[in-house]
Amino acid sequence: MSDSAKQPNSDLTNLNSDYATKYGFRDPVDYFHKGAKGINHEVVEMISKLKKEPRWMTDRRHEALDMFFSKPIPQWGNTALLNEIDFQNIYYFVKPVEEMSKDWDDVPEYIKKTFDRLGIPEAEKKFLGGVSAQYESEVVYHSMRDDLKKQGVIFLSMDSGLHEQEEIVRKYFGTVVPPTDNKFAALNTAVWSGGSFIYVPPGLDVKIPLQAYFRINIENMGQFERTLIIADKGSRVHYIEGCTAPIYSTESLHAAVVEVIALEGAYIRYTTIQNWARNIFNLVTKRASAYRNATVEWIDGNIGSRLSMKYPCIQLMGEGAKAEVLSVAFAGIDQHQDAGAKVIHAAPNTSSRITSKSISKDNGRASYRGLVKIYKNAVNSKASVECDALLIGEEARSDTYPTMEIDNDQVKVEHEARVSKVAEEQLFYLTSRGLTEDEARLLIVNGFMEPFTKELPMEYAVELNRLIELEMEGTVG
Amino acid sequence: MNKTSTKSTPGSEYLIDEFAPALKRGPQWLRKRRRVLRQEFNSTPLPHRGLHTWRYTNPNKFLIKHDTVLDTAFGNGYNAVEKVELTHLEQGHLSGLVTDHGGQEIKFHGLEELSEKGIVVTTLSEAVSRHQEIVERYLYQLVNGKTGKFEAMNGALFNDGIFIHVPNGQTVEKPLHLLHEAGRENSAHFHRVLIVVGKNAELTVIDEYGGGASDIDQGVSYTNSAVEIFGSEESRVRYVLLQRQAAAAHLYLTHRARIERGATMLTIPLSFGASTSKQNFGVTLNGEGAESKMYGLLFGSGHQHFDNHTLHHHVAGRTTSNIDFKVALRDRAVSAYTGLIRIEKGAKACEAYQENRNLLLNKGVKAETIPELEILNEDVKCSHGATIGPIDPLSVFYLTSRGIPQNEAVQMIVSGFAESTLKQIPENLKERITDSVAQRLEDI
Repeated sequence: MSDSAKQPNSDLTNLNSDYATKYGFRDPVDYFHKGAKGINHEVVEMISKLKKEPRWMTDRRHEALDMFFSKPIPQWGNTALLNEIDFQNIYYFVKPVEEMSKDWDDVPEYIKKTFDRLGIPEAEKKFLGGVSAQYESEVVYHSMRDDLKKQGVIFLSMDSGLHEQEEIVRKYFGTVVPPTDNKFAALNTAVWSGGSFIYVPPGLDVKIPLQAYFRINIENMGQFERTLIIADKGSRVHYIEGCTAPIYSTESLHAAVVEVIALEGAYIRYTTIQNWARNIFNLVTKRASAYRNATVEWIDGNIGSRLSMKYPCIQLMGEGAKAEVLSVAFAGIDQHQDAGAKVIHAAPNTSSRITSKSISKDNGRASYRGLVKIYKNAVNSKASVECDALLIGEEARSDTYPTMEIDNDQVKVEHEARVSKVAEEQLFYLTSRGLTEDEARLLIVNGFMEPFTKELPMEYAVELNRLIELEMEGTVG
Repeated sequence: MNKTSTKSTPGSEYLIDEFAPALKRGPQWLRKRRRVLRQEFNSTPLPHRGLHTWRYTNPNKFLIKHDTVLDTAFGNGYNAVEKVELTHLEQGHLSGLVTDHGGQEIKFHGLEELSEKGIVVTTLSEAVSRHQEIVERYLYQLVNGKTGKFEAMNGALFNDGIFIHVPNGQTVEKPLHLLHEAGRENSAHFHRVLIVVGKNAELTVIDEYGGGASDIDQGVSYTNSAVEIFGSEESRVRYVLLQRQAAAAHLYLTHRARIERGATMLTIPLSFGASTSKQNFGVTLNGEGAESKMYGLLFGSGHQHFDNHTLHHHVAGRTTSNIDFKVALRDRAVSAYTGLIRIEKGAKACEAYQENRNLLLNKGVKAETIPELEILNEDVKCSHGATIGPIDPLSVFYLTSRGIPQNEAVQMIVSGFAESTLKQIPENLKERITDSVAQRLEDI
């Protein structure tokens, strides 16, 4: 019997109990600054003032807030759940500590314990080039290896980025995801706090991944981190983010904006393992621009949250640019993973590939929603979209909503989707060889996820397999 | 709680007047339902452009303002297509022919044999009184105010239409052809078809839409059509829709069919005409073992705008569906295709397939495709595929290197592309379709 099919401990009877011990614990609340709930121009002014921001940023925040107020909630997707969001019952800015630490020892004990339990410092030691740890609204710990620093890699919290690299930030901020894009992008622009700022100088290959970890602790929190990654000509970088939160009875909101810019010939891979607690609305706008011969890859895993709406996008702006999106979703009890990808072909000879895999279990619902748009000038472009969905259980639901808009005849576009349950023949084959039905099912699911897990750094792949193992526990009914 | 603002869309203020003459047509029960549908139309906002089914087409194009509608005179005698089909009837290719001029002048040809078998083909205006029981039971069941705003509009205002009833066990061997000629510029036609096919009965219908405005400078013509088809247990129905309206016609059409245990349904939408058309085709598989197939073919040229939606709705278990929707575009034509397969929770052991292929014949065309799946139970086999691309230059090269002229080579490839649909079409109609495809490719 293969190791990956080993039964999880019998005391881990369902994911929620494990999430509570592993990720779902709460810290005592003792914050440096915690404003009142609700959103208005005073809150925006306060955030900007506390951060001692330049005036142009403050102005942008105010403009964006007006856009947020004027834009309607999306009229598509899971509108019933979206309409549940009560924007006046959310904390928009919670500052856990006065100053960000560069030394782990300076981080307050309770926060340190949290990240220790999540295994962040250990991961840093083992295989990361830099780590950023965000707690509520702000980055509480940040460090990067000296050799990378010397080579000119800039990896900062977004707040530090704005102060230390104001010119670059001003040049690129909001250019890939403008606040006009959607209601949540507007909200993020108004109240953003934390996130990562990365700049990789021309020609540099950052061989070890940079990582950020996001943690929500209090109830009704709104986390609005903002990330900006710029890979200059011919450089390469891999960025990883993870996230968790405690379990509360009321909802929290996570509405990040991520802007990624791959200049000529650059390569950026962005990996997300989203494992928010099941009371978090995860409404995130992620978009990349890839210039001439650049490559951008989104590796996007969605396991947690109540409702995720996330469609990482790549705009192919220069000739020969490439896009790859690998999206995986696991929708368990009461979850709706509305995930997908968008690729905009705006230059000739561009190519893209989207691979989506989803598993819906119990009453979970996984939706693939995607867009491939090929503009008139993007001749000789190629796009392929492949969606695979696996359904486990009577109540499970799977949707596929791909959109393809093609304005040009010199292209090749293909889309395929399949929906199925775990095949009886496969189960029969494995059980006839002595595996229990549980083990057989797990083995099949692991095989289904394999194209995704093999793209992850080892430690993440192991972690993901373990999560799936927990999710799959007791599926035979 | 955040309340969202609903932006008012231009045109949404248009209401059907309570004194509209159409509301007074028909017996008491029908007038009552027309009034309810009028209210549903008036209280339903125009479809939101954010909905993916309305993303590509402006709903205002189908909002018929009463004051622009004129009764249009139709020429005397029969037009060319009508003459061809009358010949087909004489030659024995059809079991009957109905010529319909804007719902005002509906003529029935060669139906004697059918009526001897008890098969009813008549106008809806007759049927509402002469076959009241069956019409009252089925009319509005599938296409009504819940289907959408424009469906409510048709329900309230339809002038006339065709009613077909095939009793249990009866077979209509040859196709029954309905030929609807729309009015000229500034005319409006609310048209309705109701088909009820009994247990173990069989029917082939060709539902053809021609005519309409041809000169945009003189104004457009409007057609709003609703088609309802009921296939009882073990019935076999073939429904061919041929849409070849003129260059300045606006057409909105909703087709819905429901088939019961063991029934089969073949739906063949063929779209060649109109300036702007939005067509919905839907089959509900309502009984175990029911099977539905759709073969679509669309050929767009000039500045034509097509928007098609297909739906296969699996309500019962052990049902099978298949869609093959082919699109070929040239000049500046635009096609949007959205197709949904929905399998309900209780519908176990279903199989559903869907394919949409788009052939782009030159620069300047646009093709959009959204094949969707909504699967609410695990016990299914389901897949869909879509492709968009030009004619394979290698195939053209191969044919031309064997001495076949370029345009003929393209014609051969397009015919091959369309073949899977064409071979489903009744013989006599196939000739006309093949000719019109060839005609459109002549100068490519």
